[in-house]
Amino acid sequence: MKKIILAIAMSILMIQTVQAAGTQYEMRVDGLACPFCAYGIEKKLKAIEGTSNISVDLNKGLVKVEMAEGKSLTEDRMKKLFSDSGFTYRSMKKKAL
Amino acid sequence: MEKVKILNNIKYNVCGLAVLLGLASTAVLAHDPVFGIGPHVLFKDGFEVALGVESEKAADEKEQALQLEVTYGITGDWAIGVDLPYDYKDDGTNSSNGMGDLSVFSKYRFWRKDSLGLQESAAVLVKVITDTASTSKTPFLGKGTTDTILGLTYGYEGRRWYRWAGARYRFNGKNNAGVDRGDKILLDFVGGIRPTPTGYLEPDTVWLLELNGEYGKKASFNGSNLANTGGTEWFISPGIFWTKRNFAIKAGVQIPVSSNLNGSQNESDYRAKLIFEWHL
Repeated sequence: MKKIILAIAMSILMIQTVQAAGTQYEMRVDGLACPFCAYGIEKKLKAIEGTSNISVDLNKGLVKVEMAEGKSLTEDRMKKLFSDSGFTYRSMKKKAL
Repeated sequence: MEKVKILNNIKYNVCGLAVLLGLASTAVLAHDPVFGIGPHVLFKDGFEVALGVESEKAADEKEQALQLEVTYGITGDWAIGVDLPYDYKDDGTNSSNGMGDLSVFSKYRFWRKDSLGLQESAAVLVKVITDTASTSKTPFLGKGTTDTILGLTYGYEGRRWYRWAGARYRFNGKNNAGVDRGDKILLDFVGGIRPTPTGYLEPDTVWLLELNGEYGKKASFNGSNLANTGGTEWFISPGIFWTKRNFAIKAGVQIPVSSNLNGSQNESDYRAKLIFEWHL
């Protein structure tokens, strides 16, 4: 019983630690052929509160961004952001930092 | 004397160097050809500021223009803009300089197909070249008419290869002096290559080669065709597009390779363009 309680407490502590560090989002985006054209993505992501460390990998079609603790990105919001930038959003992965 | 002045300016503005108006008809926009048109627009609520220098020579006639173009992205597929040139003209006898005709334009990208590292798209363009420049100087800085250009363009943009095709029809107006400058058709076929695909924040270079064709109908004066107007010219145009993050430099030169101008007209010697662009 003590071991179970300890395991639960450790898990809660780990989750809290992870949340304190933020979240990295990795978006698959199509149409990314040109660096100059991708500037709109950078500008729009920077306008979202809590974003940092934005990177764009044109060859793999990946856009990565880190979100501060308590901040998050949604699929709908990203779909619109990339459409407004002139590209097509495909999918999103997230991982705790 | 007034009629002679008008006819001399007809010669200047209709023949040879009127083709510079064809240069002025290109909305600059991003990763598009230097002389032709492409389907690129601008990200929503973005601004593009472009400063360009253009130069053209046909025998004794020369024309240079300094152009300021500002574009705004209404949506990710629709942009509008304004184009303001400052012209310098020399017909071999007289020269003039001053503000050219203000233009307003809009481009709408109606089709887009995106895949990994690749974007294919098509757009329509409309541009209105107003009648704001002076027609009191010799040679005229303005056309004395409001002209309209309609364009249709397709583009394929990959990490290494590019291709574009475009067609424009220019509806030229009739001025108060009775001169009806013939309408013009412009065709563009472009190939490009990025020899070394680079990362997003690294300098990026694309080399372009354009084939630009222009067909001008004959002009008329008070209903009578002017013999020494209109005809066809084709150009081969090498160019370069260099960018880093939100700054770009475009440059190219048009080299005439085929000319079939009606009557006696000066054939183009060359045209050149250098453009600096910022995305804001």
